[in-house]
Amino acid sequence: MNGSAISIRDLSKVYRSKGGSVKALDSVSLEIPAGTVFGLLGPNGAGKTTLIKVLTGISPMTGGEATVAGFDVRTDSLKVRARIGWVAAEVILDDDFSARENLWLQAKLQDLEDWEPRADVLLKYFDLDRRADDKVSGFSTGMRKKLEIALALLHQPAVIFMDEPTIGLDVNTRRMLWEIVTGVHKEFGVTVLLTTHYIEEAEALCDRVAIIDHGHIIAQGTPAELKARVKADIVRLDTDEALDVPRISAIPGVQEVRSEGNEWAIRTASAATLLPALLATIRTDSVRRITVEGPSLETVFLDLTGRRIGQEEPMRDVRKFYANMRRQVGG
Amino acid sequence: MISQFSGLYFREILRTFRNPFVLIITVVQPFMWLAFFGSSFANAPASFLQSFIGSNNYIAFLLPGTLSTSMLSVGMFGSMSTIQDKRFGFMKRILITPTSKGVIFLSKALGGATRGLVQFPIMILAATVFGVRFHMGALEWAAWIVALFSLAVGFASLFLAITASSTDWQTPGVVSNFITMPLMFASTALFSGAFFPSWMLAISAVNPITFSALLGRAFVLGRAVPWINLGYLGTFAIVMLFVGFLVSSRWLRVD
Repeated sequence: MNGSAISIRDLSKVYRSKGGSVKALDSVSLEIPAGTVFGLLGPNGAGKTTLIKVLTGISPMTGGEATVAGFDVRTDSLKVRARIGWVAAEVILDDDFSARENLWLQAKLQDLEDWEPRADVLLKYFDLDRRADDKVSGFSTGMRKKLEIALALLHQPAVIFMDEPTIGLDVNTRRMLWEIVTGVHKEFGVTVLLTTHYIEEAEALCDRVAIIDHGHIIAQGTPAELKARVKADIVRLDTDEALDVPRISAIPGVQEVRSEGNEWAIRTASAATLLPALLATIRTDSVRRITVEGPSLETVFLDLTGRRIGQEEPMRDVRKFYANMRRQVGG
Repeated sequence: MISQFSGLYFREILRTFRNPFVLIITVVQPFMWLAFFGSSFANAPASFLQSFIGSNNYIAFLLPGTLSTSMLSVGMFGSMSTIQDKRFGFMKRILITPTSKGVIFLSKALGGATRGLVQFPIMILAATVFGVRFHMGALEWAAWIVALFSLAVGFASLFLAITASSTDWQTPGVVSNFITMPLMFASTALFSGAFFPSWMLAISAVNPITFSALLGRAFVLGRAVPWINLGYLGTFAIVMLFVGFLVSSRWLRVD
């Protein structure tokens, strides 16, 4: 497929209930090129899953337009659904069935006749061929994830939606899944739209990334393009005592000093230039740890929203509260 | 559409047979019904039974009614299976394929009804163990099965329509309690309607369970067969299927 695999214009989604309404997506516009791994990065509640629900036809859009694999999501929903695969955050399989029976059911749902050769290829590719006739209830999480991806690939879709596919997985399984996503993309030439709130996942897997927050796309581009926007390092200090913010802010090159619990984040144009002056300003014996972050998607998000991606606003307030309490008690 | 329907239909059937608890209960329950409920009139004088139910054999009288009321539970299990699919995300997996909501409804309703019929041969066997003898031809057996299947389809459709938009585990149970009791007791499934007050007779006269019980009873007891009851039950199934299809197409949702 040439051009865009997914095209979205001014898409909005409002959830209405008796208690009022919530705008989950607000004028979202995206072009997702065919053959890419596109990441949708944002914190919980940003609208990532809602966007997938709308694009897969699970939930109707409130406004705007979207095409997937060349078909209008609103008017050609069945054609869209014949051309997409889906990998959920939680593994969704029929536990009463074997791996092959799950593939059989998926073939039925996708109206495939000659599905078995393709299923054999996928079972072998994902190293499940020796357990193909075993009930999936006895599979490990990694095997279940692999089977779920095999189900998504069975009908040779143009686009696969992966909704937080590594959430809740241990580090090893997550790494394994990253390799699978990269391999699947290369091997089967499918466009992947992947949502995640793991910065490193977006950086490792995605050709392009859109950052979403409160239902808005706030930035998009290649990871390199996004990081180039920040032009700043973050110096993190874990200290026993509060920093003298006005003094540190006065150091040349310091752009911002922010408290995050008992950790301090100092944004600067160059960490290498800042560090000598910083260490001369603070009491070094109160410093437990210093880390330097170069530009990353995390700093891009921080730069755009003023908060970290895994840091929900109420939680930040609680941490601030306890940090202040500790300082008052300690000091 | 046929491919999606057959996949989901056989999934319903296969899941039933792979669950040992469901299988055991399916086999044991008919025996318990007939043993406990059927034996409650075991020592009743023949003249009493003859005047009360028009037969000397209460188990033979009870069997068609019990089979009819057991089709009510088909509806509850059908809607529980749908809610389970919604809760565990499987419904989402189905809906992200070119499968329409109407096909999902049909597979659940017909799959549930087929599952309900599993009890039929077991009940017949149980009744035989308890001394009931059947003198019926192939046509009567086939008509009885069609009648029960129609009843099951109708109730499964009714339950699925009521619970189409629900994701709450409790809903099928609550709906079942609400529907089952009045329908079971305002019918001639368990007792003759001879002593019903007029308002219960009015309900019983349109209650599909009554139509099914009377038809089955005619086959088992060798009475004149009210063939029109088969038409009534078929109409009930078709109307409920139509209503359930429309409601599910509009209201079956997962978010």
